[in-house]
Parts: sequence; C-alpha cells; structure tokens
Amino acid sequence: MISPARRDRRRFLVLMLAPATVLLLGLTLVPFLVSLAFSFSNLSLVTPDDFAYIWFDNFDRLFRSPEFWNAMRVTVIFTIAAVAVELVLGVGIAALLHYETRAVPALRLIYLLPLAITPVAAVFTFRIMLNPSLGVLNYLVKQVGLPPQDWLGTPGMALMTLVAVDAWQWTPFILLIAAGGLAAMDDEPQEAAQMDGAGPIAIFFHHTLPMLYPYLAVAVVFRSIDAFKTFDIIFVLTGGGPGIATRTLNLLAYKQGLEFLEMGYAAAIAIVMLVATIIFSQAFLRRINMFRPKAAL
Amino acid sequence: MKQKNHFLVGDAQTSISRRKVLKSASAFAGAGLLASSASRAWAATFEEVGPQWASADIDWMSQAGKTIVLNAVQHPWTDAITPLIPHFTELTGINVDVQTQSETEYTAELPVKLGTGNPTPDVYMVWAIGQAITAGWLEPLDGFYANSQLSDASWWNDDDLFPSARSFQKWSDGIRYLMPITAESQILFINQPLLEEKGLSVPTTMDGLMDTAVALHGDDVAGIAMRAKSTGDSTWPAGGFIFSFGGAIIDLDGNVAINSPEAVAAMDAYGGLLHKAGPVGISSYQWVECLNDYMAGAVAMGCDSSNFATDIANPDKSVVAGKTVYATLPKAGDMPIKPNMWHWNAGINSSSANKDAAWLFLQWAESMPTCLLSSAAGLATPRASAWASDGFQNRFGAQAADTALSSLKAGDGDLFKATWFHPKGPQILDAFGIALNQIATGASDAKSAMDAAAAKIEADLAG
Repeated sequence: MISPARRDRRRFLVLMLAPATVLLLGLTLVPFLVSLAFSFSNLSLVTPDDFAYIWFDNFDRLFRSPEFWNAMRVTVIFTIAAVAVELVLGVGIAALLHYETRAVPALRLIYLLPLAITPVAAVFTFRIMLNPSLGVLNYLVKQVGLPPQDWLGTPGMALMTLVAVDAWQWTPFILLIAAGGLAAMDDEPQEAAQMDGAGPIAIFFHHTLPMLYPYLAVAVVFRSIDAFKTFDIIFVLTGGGPGIATRTLNLLAYKQGLEFLEMGYAAAIAIVMLVATIIFSQAFLRRINMFRPKAAL
Repeated sequence: MKQKNHFLVGDAQTSISRRKVLKSASAFAGAGLLASSASRAWAATFEEVGPQWASADIDWMSQAGKTIVLNAVQHPWTDAITPLIPHFTELTGINVDVQTQSETEYTAELPVKLGTGNPTPDVYMVWAIGQAITAGWLEPLDGFYANSQLSDASWWNDDDLFPSARSFQKWSDGIRYLMPITAESQILFINQPLLEEKGLSVPTTMDGLMDTAVALHGDDVAGIAMRAKSTGDSTWPAGGFIFSFGGAIIDLDGNVAINSPEAVAAMDAYGGLLHKAGPVGISSYQWVECLNDYMAGAVAMGCDSSNFATDIANPDKSVVAGKTVYATLPKAGDMPIKPNMWHWNAGINSSSANKDAAWLFLQWAESMPTCLLSSAAGLATPRASAWASDGFQNRFGAQAADTALSSLKAGDGDLFKATWFHPKGPQILDAFGIALNQIATGASDAKSAMDAAAAKIEADLAG
C-alpha cells in the first residue's frame, strides 16, 4: 500500500519530468523512428502515392554505390584531418596559455572568438577571401612573390582548405576543454619531475599530456561526431566539388533528400551515418580507457 | 541559415472597377502614358496606371479581402514586381504576402513544403519544373484562361508573349501549368576596349572564340569565365554549347545523349576554353563569380545569361559599364547556333485555398501594362511589347536587348525542355555538373567524363 505522501511525491515527480520527457521524445526519438521507417521505404516526394516498404533495398543500393563509398572516404579523411589539426593546435595553445601570466584574458578572448561567430556568416566571409581572382588570400600570396592558388579548385587543395576553415572555427573548442583540464590539474607530479631534472618538453609529454587524456577524449569524441556531419562549411565553399572530391555523407544525404526528394534513400544514408557515429564513439572511448593513467581515475 | 523577408504589401482597397473605365480609350491612352513615362515607372501612381488594368474585362474585385502568399527567389523579377504590388492590392483588394529566400534556401525548402501538401505558398516561382508537374504541385492554368470572369483573352494578348515562353507554359500533356515571368538567353559579352587594344573582332565561330579568349588572356585579366562548379545549376551555359554543336543532353525521344560525339566535342571546346583562358579557380565558379569577375574587369569575356546586361550596364556596380559589346554564341562549324534559354515561371500551388486570387495575381503580374512597368526597371519580361519599349531599351541597353532577342529566337526550347523539364532533371543535371567540373579542371577528358555522366544518368533513370 503506497502512502498518500509517497503517491503525491510520485505524481509531482512525473509532472515535473513530463515536459522534458515529451520534448526529448518529440525532438529526438520520434524523428529517429520516422527516419528509420523511411529508410525501409521508397518514399519520394515526387511520387508519394507510390509509397511502399522495400525493407533493405535502400541499404543494398547504398552499399553497392561507388558514390556512397567515395562519400564515406571523404568524410573519414575530413574528420580525422580536421580533428587532428584542431587537437594539436588546441592543446598547444592551451599549454602556452597555461604558462602565460599577463595577457591570458585578452588572448583567451581572441582565441575563442571564432566559436562565437555564426558559422554560415564566417564561411561566406571565407568564400570571399578564398576567391582566386578577387580574394585577399591570393592578394597576400602574390605580395610575397608566390603564384595565386586555386584554394578550392583541386581535389587535394579543396579538402585541405576545408580542414583549415574547420580548424579555424573549432580549435577554440578543444582549447577551451584543454585549458579547463590544465587548470584543474594537480601540479605536484610536474613539480616533482622538474626537481628530478626533467625539461619542460619531457614534462609536457610524459606528465601533463597523459593527465589531460580524459579531457581530450571527451573533446575528440564531441568534435569527431560534429566533424563527421559537417555541412555548412562544405556546402558553401565547394558544394561537394571539384567533381565529387569533397562530397561527404551529409552532402550526399542532402542531395538525395532535398534536391532529388528521394526521402527513403536519404534516410538510409542518415541511418548509416548514425550507426557509424555510434560505433566510432564507443570504440574510441573503450580504446581511451586502455591507456587512461591511473592517477587521473 | 533561414532568412525570409516578409513584405505584406498593400492594405488599401478601392472601389475601382473595369466597368467604370472606358476600355478601349484607356488601353491606348494608358499604353502611351506608360511608354512615355517609363523612366519614372516606379513613381507612377495608381491613378496613372490603374486604367490599364481596369480596362480588362475581368472582375478584379471578385476575390477582394483575401491574402495570398507569394514565395519567390531573391531575383530581379521579385525586385521589380514587389514595388508594384500595392497597385494590385488597390485594383483587386487582395493582399500579397511576399516571402523571398536565396535560391539555395528556396530550392531546398520549397519542394519539402509542397511535397507535404502545404496550402502555402499560393503562388511560387517554379524551379524544377518536371519534378513539380510530375508530383502534382502545380494547378493547371487552362481552366483559369477559359474563365470569362477571371480572364480576358483579348486584353491579355497571348501573341505578345515570346513563342518560347508560350512553349515553356505547356507540359507534355499539352496543359498549361506555368506563367512565364522572365526571358533570358545565352549571350557572349566582351570587354570592348580590351578587344580593340588587341586589334581583335567579335568572334563568330567557336575556333575564333578560342583564339580570342587565348589572345585576351593575361596575368591580370583572364580570357574568359564560364560556369564550372560541380552543381546542377552550373550546367546551363554548357548546355548551349552542346545544343550548338548539334548534340543533346536528353534527346527529343527521351534517350540519354550526353556522351554523343557532338556533346563530347562541345564539352571539349567548353573545357578547352576554360583550361587555356579561364581564371584561376574556375572550378568553383557559378554565375555570380562569372558576373562579378567580368564587372570587376578581371576577365575579358563571359558567356552566360542576357540578364547580366542590367548589372553590367550599371556604373555603380561595374567598371565595364558602357564598354561591353554583346554577341550571339559563335557557330560550331556549319551547325546552327542554339544558345541556351530560360524563362523563370510562376505557378499556383495545387493545394492552395486561394487559387482564383492567385490566378488574378499571376495574370496581373504578367499583363502588358505590368510588364511595361517592370521592364523599365531592367527586368527582361517574356513580352515582346515590353522589350520594344524605350524604358527597357534604355535600362538594358539596345545592343544587349537586340542580341538577347536574337539568341532567344535561335534557342531550341524543345531540346532545353527535354532535359530541364525532365521529372528527374535534378539528378541529370547533377551528373552533368560533375562531368563539367571534371572537364574544366582537367581531372578528366571530355569523353571519359561524359561517359561516366551518361552511365550515372542511365542508372538514375532506371532506378
């Protein structure tokens, strides 16, 4: 027998949790289930009356498509390159800021500015700057005696440029997390190493960096998931070109869904992206656990 | 990022009726008034121009009190028509909520809206025409044309519309779904001082075009810029090359012809021009980059839409204003030139709850008096009378207008429609765009790229 007081408390809890639960279900679970259902169908907005469930045909078509595997390759390369660059720069700048004493607040503000700028606005500015004939970048390149570059015109250069723009925008995110990790870190092991005669570089790589791993693991997982589904930078700067050299999975899904209106096929791509993201993040977190230093646990 | 501009235009209602106006007298008097006052078209009051619309044997006030939503792209048509809408509201009592978006946002969002049966917008600019008609998103217009309360055929004067515009209205079933709102054709525009400096003349053959482009190409100024980005909407000028070489993308029997010898030769020429005389970074060039580079004097030639003429002639935007010579597309051997063409069209949403009001708007917007007003702002309308007007000729440039008109007449609307009106037009043009980009960047030769595009299109059409 439940007492009236406990019943009231339970009712209160249900009442308080209901809005958040409804929102969560409405904004995440329902769209996911709808996408999953679509991915097993031939839904096309051009011929909605021909709707039928075709089960795994979309996935079969997808895995047989060279376009899909190209997009997967481009997505993986972009994700690894962007996160690697951001990780190195973010940790490097965070470490330098950690030992800086006077100008830290101003520098931190400057470094964090890209995070505060609306991505599309920033990317459009980059588009103007990267314009081969009228952009400021080629103007500067010519000023130092180099030939103008086709920043977005060749497959390799276009991907590198996209990585650079992504790094400009998201390095501050890694910097923020790494700086937080450094601030919370116990300095005793480093001081002990210093007394034992270790140099600053050795201390950084053998003590500081391993103790930062738990923070960096979180940052890498967040950034990887985000980079994996990058859309705005690529859409505005290259539209997936030259050719299909920068056509990522997200761009492929956009084309299939919003240009060709093949909603079923586009949903199948989105489901594959979701599964790939879950597999990657779980595998990465398990791997990180293997070499997480005991001291940090 | 979603950015919509909403203008709820005009609230005033008026008791004006066609029956209060002497029809024939006002038609002639008004036409004279509009032609003579074209330069001050934007300042025209309803009292000045109202009789022109009111002279039609149409019950303009039959839908008074309704509000329709017009969804439009940020485009010269939208810019030209929006300031005139208060006149429409005063004439009909219908309010118009104008919602504009960038082309990218528009083409991504509108199909989803229409695909879910949304009753708004009531009127919209139609982008993927075959897709829209096949999906049933457009209300057939023939019934409205035949409705004597809502239409007046003699006042409308269908013969004044360019034949290509009339052809664009009809789908393969012979039904009119579309109202043409612009007319543009593919033309060549050349920086005349640079041409004269090199002692060159305007090229009339494809070989001559190549020689001219190479001769004009230098360190600071590229010889020619044409669209080469790997997107479907970059393919329009290349389409004109293919047609003029005697080829097709999808032929008139519906077969994939993009890798025919004629099409490959055309793309070889197109890619060769950009290779030998194009600016650095041509791979990311869409029409806007081509226009901007030309207006900045960074390229000597361009081959794109005749609508560029309005911006090129504007000294506030262009350093080559008054220094440009226009020409039709050069001939490829003995083949007749078939420059590409385009009419933007508007249509009525088949799920709209205000179809009659939407029809009145469309009819008003593309009527002779309205086209005369909008053309004075430089808009290339689908009406011959507007193109012949002083206002348009002054704003657009007489030589540009003549060239555009010649090109429009030379274009092959059926070849264009076979591809651009195809129900799977977006997929076909996407594959073509990738091939075009690969040829322009030298990543692939024309034959291999077009074979790959043909295979992809065949697979898409079969799927």
